[in-house]
Amino acid sequence: MIQRANVEQMKSSELLRLARVLKLPILDRKIARESLVDKIMVEIEARNKREFIEMKLNSPAIKIENLIKRFGKKVAVWGLNLKVNPGEIVGLVGPNGAGKTTTLRILTGIIKPTSGSVEVDGYDMLDNPIPAKSAIGYIPEKPTCYPSLTVREYVTFMARIYEVPNEIALVRMRQFVDMFQLDEYLDSYIGTLSKGNLQRALLVGIFVRDPPYVLALDEPIYGLDPRGAWNLKAYLRQLRDEGSAILISTHILEVASDLCDRFVIMNEGSVVGRGTLEELLASQKEARSLEEVFLSLTGGIPE
Amino acid sequence: MKPSTFRIIRNEIQMLYNQFKQAITIPSMLLFYGVTLIGVFFVSLVVSSLLSFAPIISQLGTLLETTIDRGMFFGAFAILSASSVITGYFGLGPAAIITSEDENLLLPAPVKPYQIFLGRYTRRIVRKMAFTILGILAIFPLLLSANILFFSIIFILFCMIIFFETNYFLGAMSSYIRLYVGQRYKSPLRYIVVILIGLVMLIPAIPSFTSTFTVAYVFPSNAFALVITEMTGVFALDVPFLLGAGLQLMMYIICLLLTASITGYDYYEVFSASKGSEEIEGRFSKVIRGNIDFSNSRFNDPTVWIMLKDFWSRLRSPFQIWKYIYAVVGMIFVLYLNLFHPVWFRPLVVPPDLAFAVVPAFVLMLILLVQMSSLTSMLSFVDEKDNVYLLKASPFKSKDIVLAKFLLSFMEVGIAAIPACGFLIYIMRVEGYLALITLAAPLVILFTATGVAVGAYVPVMTNDPKTLPVPLAFSYPIINLSLGTAMVLVVAVFADSLLVLIALPVYVLGLTLFFLASAVRALNSYK
Repeated sequence: MIQRANVEQMKSSELLRLARVLKLPILDRKIARESLVDKIMVEIEARNKREFIEMKLNSPAIKIENLIKRFGKKVAVWGLNLKVNPGEIVGLVGPNGAGKTTTLRILTGIIKPTSGSVEVDGYDMLDNPIPAKSAIGYIPEKPTCYPSLTVREYVTFMARIYEVPNEIALVRMRQFVDMFQLDEYLDSYIGTLSKGNLQRALLVGIFVRDPPYVLALDEPIYGLDPRGAWNLKAYLRQLRDEGSAILISTHILEVASDLCDRFVIMNEGSVVGRGTLEELLASQKEARSLEEVFLSLTGGIPE
Repeated sequence: MKPSTFRIIRNEIQMLYNQFKQAITIPSMLLFYGVTLIGVFFVSLVVSSLLSFAPIISQLGTLLETTIDRGMFFGAFAILSASSVITGYFGLGPAAIITSEDENLLLPAPVKPYQIFLGRYTRRIVRKMAFTILGILAIFPLLLSANILFFSIIFILFCMIIFFETNYFLGAMSSYIRLYVGQRYKSPLRYIVVILIGLVMLIPAIPSFTSTFTVAYVFPSNAFALVITEMTGVFALDVPFLLGAGLQLMMYIICLLLTASITGYDYYEVFSASKGSEEIEGRFSKVIRGNIDFSNSRFNDPTVWIMLKDFWSRLRSPFQIWKYIYAVVGMIFVLYLNLFHPVWFRPLVVPPDLAFAVVPAFVLMLILLVQMSSLTSMLSFVDEKDNVYLLKASPFKSKDIVLAKFLLSFMEVGIAAIPACGFLIYIMRVEGYLALITLAAPLVILFTATGVAVGAYVPVMTNDPKTLPVPLAFSYPIINLSLGTAMVLVVAVFADSLLVLIALPVYVLGLTLFFLASAVRALNSYK
């Protein structure tokens, strides 16, 4: 839903574009910014009254049952069961090669499981991939994007793919471009961006849709500077509170313990521990932090 | 068509347009595009002034009709379709169009696989058309000299593109058959299917199907052959050539739609599997290579060490070993041809009317063959991928790195060029070939140096060092063709004087040093 504060953030040229998208009759040669914002908000509120439907995710938003994935003879994931409910951030942690990225790739429908089922927002990823994929947002481990598109073109493209109405896409693009300090790169080609800025562009591409979201984030803090990381963490908490379901795969235990409500610890394709931080600490008597729980479950705490 | 297919196509066209915009606004890109176009124009101008093509073209029909029969002519096109089907069977099919960017953006998005395919395919065809138009403009002098009607050549090229694109779809469908059969049967006997579908492509070319206008002409190879025969009058049936073009177009559309409809989620898996195995060492090369570990080398010289690293790491790639096998088998074969002159493979008999064109054709072929062999040198830096920055940051001098790349590439280009040159000597036994073939060595030296320089410039022009920019890739053969033509000109001018012994080395070594110095300069300017 579009808020007045978000519209006020927009630049004058963007406001005019928004007015055109909303088909507002502007007959004056000059118009005061405040008056234009008023007109836009009147139109948006009228539309909201007519068209607004409160979106809610099904519970559980992510449901993985008996997931097995083999690559030839190698077992990447073995018997994984996982649920993420709306209003929850779950951390998928584990050492390199534990099967976290494979799990997220199956969850997002990039690859198929060898056996088991994956549901996103109540839709089975194999039987009903389009509604399941419409519900999920994915940030890959290694951020990549079309180098010949500008950031603005990319975000607009993502909005079109996910069928976000133009007016919402325009307002939300400005909101998140400001949040992730991407304004100066908005018309730069993605191929020229640094890794951190590319990660921010991908995040804007996801958040251009209306919440609530089902998010599968693989190392989302990767490449972000402290301010960007702080903004993202704060926004993820806000999303959780508003009813989004978030699954984060990360190596950075500091981020995981700071952000996640529950943890699933994987090692060599299998789940070796799960629960809240308190539950995990209770299960591992010698551990005093998530880091020590992790080490104790994945090979022992070094002397 | 669902609206999102249009959106994806629009995005692909936008990316193409942006690439074009970038190319014309970045001076170095514009320079290389300019070099390519002007180079092709120049080479075609030189070639057309050296030879008058009109007599060759006018006699080509008679030559074709006396040398081969109608069945062979149709068979040649059928073999092209059959080879597309066979290579397609073992290829990735529609998964080949998926990129790493798609994997992260479109594969998890609510987009159907056929939509991604159609979007990417539209881009491919628009791009191909643009390059074809530019190519035609660049070879305009050649077309003019050959007295070929401009629109006829455009039409033939259009039909050729349709034919190759239809073959591409046939290959994609063949890969689907493999996928389908592989999911149901595990016996190695399932590969018999590839022989069967190969035969299906060949059977319609049998003379009993093509001697009159039959239903067999719906096959793309026959339809394309019909267009050529009816347009040129060679082996003509007196059927309107537009009928052939219509059949080609119909089959193209059917094959396009069939390929789109078989492009399913299974291909995401195929792409993912191919991505995982692209770096894996070929089984055969592992057997040949054995347990050699180049890190145990006793050499401490940076140049030698980089050469060893490149040699062994390239040998671990699945196809590199086949290059060496080709070199050995090819050398033995051309030795056999030149020593024993087998009756089953006779050299080309050139009609007396065309004798004047044989020596220039020999030299042109020599330049082209060396050029084709020298492509490896262009990849010497590109194959490093992102490691090129590690190499640059390593405690080696830039000139040692460039020298190492040049020397190893020289060895590789040399072994690839020897069988090709031996074959050329045999097939076009022209007078004075022994003197002419000595030009191969300077050409190899020069083309290797240009290849190394062009490869070294990739990270200067783009921040994706593993992808060769289009203008660089296209300008490389053009630069070489121009340098090769100029070298032949130098030799021709000084041929009657001893000065040739000075002029040729000065030309070759001077330019080689210039290109190697350019490579060092490029390496020093990486961001």
